[in-house]
Amino acid sequence: MAQTLTAKAPKPKLSFREWISLPRVQKWFVIVTFAIVPLLLLLVFTYIPFGKMIEFSLYDRSYTKIRGFVGLKNYTRIFTRSDYFDAMFLSVYYMGGALIQLALALYFATLLSFKTRAGNLFKGTIFFPYLINGIAIGFIFKFFYTRGFVLDTVLGFLGFNPESLPYWLRDQSINNYSLVATSVWRYMGQNMVMFIGAIMSVDPTLYEAAEIDGANRWKQFLYIILPSIKTIVMLNVILSITGSLSAFEPPYVIMGGGASGTATYFIKMHQTAHIDQRVGTACAMAVVLMIIIIIATILQKLFFRFVLKEGVDDVPERSPKKPRKKLARV
Amino acid sequence: MKKILSLALCLLLLVAFAMTASAELPNFLDLKVGEDYTDITADITVLNHRTDLKDTKFPEYIAAFKELYPNVTVTIDTITDYAEDSLTRLTGGNWGDIMMIPALDKDELPNFFIPYGEVDTLSEKYNFIDAWMWDGLAYGMPSTGNAQGIVYNKKVFEQAGITELPKTPDEFIAALKAIKENTDAIPLYTNYAAGWTMGAWDAYLGASANGNGEYLNQVIIHEKDPFSDRGDGTGPYAVYKILYDAAAEKLIEDDYTTTDWEGCKGMINQGQIGCMVLGSWAFSQMVEAGPNGDDIGYMSFPITVDGKQYASGGADYSFGISKDITEDEQIASMLFVKWFTEQSGFAYSEGGVPIDKSGEYPALYAAFDGIDIIPDTPALAGEETYLADLNAESELRFNNGGDAKVQEIVEHGFNGTKSFDDIMADWNARWSDAQDYLGIEVNE
Repeated sequence: MAQTLTAKAPKPKLSFREWISLPRVQKWFVIVTFAIVPLLLLLVFTYIPFGKMIEFSLYDRSYTKIRGFVGLKNYTRIFTRSDYFDAMFLSVYYMGGALIQLALALYFATLLSFKTRAGNLFKGTIFFPYLINGIAIGFIFKFFYTRGFVLDTVLGFLGFNPESLPYWLRDQSINNYSLVATSVWRYMGQNMVMFIGAIMSVDPTLYEAAEIDGANRWKQFLYIILPSIKTIVMLNVILSITGSLSAFEPPYVIMGGGASGTATYFIKMHQTAHIDQRVGTACAMAVVLMIIIIIATILQKLFFRFVLKEGVDDVPERSPKKPRKKLARV
Repeated sequence: MKKILSLALCLLLLVAFAMTASAELPNFLDLKVGEDYTDITADITVLNHRTDLKDTKFPEYIAAFKELYPNVTVTIDTITDYAEDSLTRLTGGNWGDIMMIPALDKDELPNFFIPYGEVDTLSEKYNFIDAWMWDGLAYGMPSTGNAQGIVYNKKVFEQAGITELPKTPDEFIAALKAIKENTDAIPLYTNYAAGWTMGAWDAYLGASANGNGEYLNQVIIHEKDPFSDRGDGTGPYAVYKILYDAAAEKLIEDDYTTTDWEGCKGMINQGQIGCMVLGSWAFSQMVEAGPNGDDIGYMSFPITVDGKQYASGGADYSFGISKDITEDEQIASMLFVKWFTEQSGFAYSEGGVPIDKSGEYPALYAAFDGIDIIPDTPALAGEETYLADLNAESELRFNNGGDAKVQEIVEHGFNGTKSFDDIMADWNARWSDAQDYLGIEVNE
């Protein structure tokens, strides 16, 4: 103690006001005060709940009652019982839907990037579903698919025999397709707008040059547009795949909480936590899902880097963050 | 900073004071509503599930209570998705003074609520008071009581040529078939999509299916393979078999995934539905849903045990009073609960079995003449948590949110994807695994 005091003694003693106005102190002061608010929010609302979630996953507990520490038993339960992974399998439907959705979005984006009659109207119309609240969309489609309602009537006008039409939500071989279709309808416009934004940045003189060289529209798309926007395409693929793993709203609202074999992994997690009151198991499910999402993201990155030998370094690094935020709240 | 600190300290002291002060409360049974504590001043909040009554009947009740206790302000707070959200509110604290007790395990009751007194003495005056019993003390006062039966449309049954109400599962299925053949009505409306309406089938497991009130809390927990066919049309097997058969014979609604709970009330009122398997609480709602209230009838569940029919009875949501409020608030809450039970007429107007034993039975129980309404007997001492533990472990969740398993019966029945015996075998396996895991003794 005495030594440090003597060591410090030769330094000129600054008053607090002088010290605080030193440039290096000022710099750090600004950095710290600006960073502390978002960091604190991140810590309080993301990392602390996340840590708690991992802690919960090691207990057999409900919200109100802790039955005891069980170690990894919650995890073995998830991996030894088939129903949790059956739920995971449903994500494949949503991933398939996501690919169709991206292809459609890319198609419309390309069309609407060129001069089209009433182009803005079409852009607006296609983007509109994204602005509607997900719960409202659920109710819209619940009526849309009900026997003898909108979809059956429209198909009836087109000449289909209403009696031979399937039950869109009851028939368990097609009800997941029906639900995926609502999700495609909702998010396609958002993907399209992102693609249009990216296509706008392509230098228009390239099209002229290509036209002079005799390239048709398809070739222009393949050799000019697609390579120029591959970063944004990649980003959308990653977001859609991770989004598919966490599909929740369509089955929850339309099927009343995932009945008739439409319970996705998220629904199953919700049921486990809130209906079965097995909060520990649900937290373990969330951790498992997060690990799967991280693995999926890494695999995609590796795939695009080494198999396609294309740099994706400029893809923003935040893709896995969105689902994790959701998880932390379970 | 100092101000905040001192404020926090004050609050802490207040809370501590409130905790010590709540030691001496009046005896609930001896409270005389309208005579005792008439000058008490308190603000109390009642958290409950009746969103439909918040702005209609509750203001009338509150006004009537205020005449007796002018200085007590009662606020009604309701939650739409009560079963789930109320648990979150409960754990969050600060939910008010009185709440309808959500699905807690019995041993957690003392952590949140004050007892009304000993079940033994209270049960002389009140029905179903043992619904929330822990350690011999009653923590919940039922708001109203239910008897479990089937709500049906008399006119539809008449048109179908059914002269006598069905008393066995076979007779019931035959009646449904008659409705399908002779009328345009949907014989049995499952309300599949709403979910909880399917879970309502669990309510018949007790006396309705066995003639024995001890079944649910004392027998099934130790029973080996409780879901096996007994061969005489009784027991849990028979209850769910009715649903499976009705689905398999297409005696239910055509597109069950898009049913609408609010819509079904008007449909049965107008004779578009034959019957629905719901507790007696549903009766008054069906009557009020349209102009043909007189057509609505209530019958007992079609299972006959040794030549006699029984009905499971039980408490609806029960009032619990918070242990973390001031003594005055607790006394005011006790007064309100006592008044609500004995003088508000709530149970009667909701078509419920009266909680106060001197209360009057509503007219709908006419069809229950000669049928005993038997409540579920509480679990034996030391076994109080068994059913809840088995429910959680087997994930069958009887009477406790297990809607999905009943929905699956409809799906498998309708689509023919799994035989009923396979479903019951699966339930038996899950039940005995849970018994094994929890180390519960099984009677062979």
